[in-house]
Amino acid sequence: MIKSTTNNGEIEWDRWVENAKKYPDKEAIIHWVAGEEPFRWTFSSLLNAAESFAVGLKKKGVQRGDVCATVIRHNKYFYPIYLSISSIGAIPAILAYPNPRLHPDKFRHGLEGMSKSSGLDWILTEKAISEVIEPLVTKENSTIRGIFFPLEWEKDLKFEGKELELINEVRAKIKNTDPALLQHSSGTTGLQKPVLLSHKAVLDFVTNYGKALELSPKDKIISWLPLYHDMGLIAAFHLPLAFGIPVVQMDTFEWIMIPSLLMEVISKEKGTLTWQPNFAYNILAEKVHEDDLEGISLDSMRMFINCSEPVRDRSNKLFYNRYKKYGVKENSLSSSFGMAEVTFLATQSPPGEILKKLNVNRQKLSQGIVEIIEGEENTRDCVSSGKVIDGCEITIIDEEGNEVKEGYVGELLIKSVSLFDGYRNYPEKTAAVLKKGWYYSGDYGFCHEGYYYIIGRKKDIIIVAGNNVYPEDVEDLVSHVKGVVPGRVVAFGEYDEEIGSEQISVVAETKIIEEEGRKKLKLDIIIAGMTEDINIKKVYLVPSRWLIKSSAGKPSRKTNRERLVEKKESIKWS
Amino acid sequence: MITEKFKKVILDELNLDDFDIQDNTTADQVPGWDSLNHINVILALEKAFNVHFKGIEVLRCKNIGDLQNLVNTKLNQ
Repeated sequence: MIKSTTNNGEIEWDRWVENAKKYPDKEAIIHWVAGEEPFRWTFSSLLNAAESFAVGLKKKGVQRGDVCATVIRHNKYFYPIYLSISSIGAIPAILAYPNPRLHPDKFRHGLEGMSKSSGLDWILTEKAISEVIEPLVTKENSTIRGIFFPLEWEKDLKFEGKELELINEVRAKIKNTDPALLQHSSGTTGLQKPVLLSHKAVLDFVTNYGKALELSPKDKIISWLPLYHDMGLIAAFHLPLAFGIPVVQMDTFEWIMIPSLLMEVISKEKGTLTWQPNFAYNILAEKVHEDDLEGISLDSMRMFINCSEPVRDRSNKLFYNRYKKYGVKENSLSSSFGMAEVTFLATQSPPGEILKKLNVNRQKLSQGIVEIIEGEENTRDCVSSGKVIDGCEITIIDEEGNEVKEGYVGELLIKSVSLFDGYRNYPEKTAAVLKKGWYYSGDYGFCHEGYYYIIGRKKDIIIVAGNNVYPEDVEDLVSHVKGVVPGRVVAFGEYDEEIGSEQISVVAETKIIEEEGRKKLKLDIIIAGMTEDINIKKVYLVPSRWLIKSSAGKPSRKTNRERLVEKKESIKWS
Repeated sequence: MITEKFKKVILDELNLDDFDIQDNTTADQVPGWDSLNHINVILALEKAFNVHFKGIEVLRCKNIGDLQNLVNTKLNQ
């Protein structure tokens, strides 16, 4: 077993240096590009490259505590750049590279909002988008002090002489309670909540999580997850780097274009662990040609971990039935539950154990009571998200804030040694979710025989392929489309059985009666979403005064969703 | 050149009544064609034309005209 305790005062850079000394020639990161030979970083070559970028950052004036946002596509030099930021005591924050459908002004506006809320100091990016970002530096009151293009820098620099003395002094001053990274949780770009995590929180988390996974030096992680998301960043980057095990980094974009690529990489690299949101199981089960799987073997895999979306029994079954002939074992299907605010996860199903499932009375469950029954009528399949991991504690409370007994549904509250230090520059948002050391998750669930089951959410967040979207953002956007009655819009998620994820639906009131006009309005609404990189899958247009209001005076998402989706109420236009 | 059948398959898959698709139109310009729905569009085209694309072939397509050419090449093989 790998050691499972952190040293007092240790920072991440210390751990990476230690691993580079212990395993200089062991592979650390295998950078995968479809159709090319992968590039293989060893622990020592990765650290040497990081040192070179650190020289560049110091020359540019980056100081301890500065926030360095990276906006870089899948590139082999991204990893040492990230490490170099951490190595000088600055704070890395990975931002998503702008999707081509996102209008440059919207991207810039979002970055500006993020800069104000998160206090971004420097942007490390590619020359291809310099024109979009540069105006932000010269703008009055901008927090952004400069833009760098590290991919263009020399790659073999070293600290020498006085510079070496100075950087050693800087590194000696970095404390493990200092921020190690900043990640942006759910929400539209510019309105995302910046989660700050310390070195201690990250190292304690990976230590505890490594124990829960029974991680060994033989493990190898395979990942297509984006690194701006906590799942990719912690599970497939910080975890392997801290434990000295290899990770294969694929390009998210390439995976979505060629889903079978994951299986090819697992087979070629003999991977043992991977994390994916639920929708990926459906895609892999149903959208991959048999021809593309010729000759692959998946029997090296210990765990396929389902997380970041509600775990669906159907998705797991589809996946298992499709891939068992390629070596997937039923007990390798795993699940977990968590969020960036506790670094990544709070629960994990035990390795080698078949996932626990419960058949519960659907009606009773809606009343907050867990009644396990036989048969399939009026029941709901609940898949366990596993047991609480070391360093975490979970309690479940009712609406009055009282702790509920096992067998009852409530909101999950989490206490963790890896709890975040709050949303940077958002004390009021922090205070709303962090009370007396407990993080109020907003997720509803229950505990049964020590296993946790997540069944719903307090807030109306829509989870699309593992990404959280706030309906308010969508409603605000659609409300401004010409032809929509302002303020008379609701947005919600509809589960897409085929994809295995929620997709965004919108109900909008309009006074347009003729069909051609309504067709145009539907398209305009979808296009309005596109410019903000929000994909609206379904648009329901309804006449003025159709939407039912809640007691708060706003159109009710729940009631109107039920009318359209569950009761399939027809809409009359005259 | 984009054929009517090719265009219709895409529009049907994305639940669009109409949208102008030209050779140089890129997927990100078509409403609803995002990463999550991309695979459905590809599978719908494969089904409609009874062809099979290799992943790397689709990855090399820079625009919808390239995808149409890929279909044409497959049909002529």
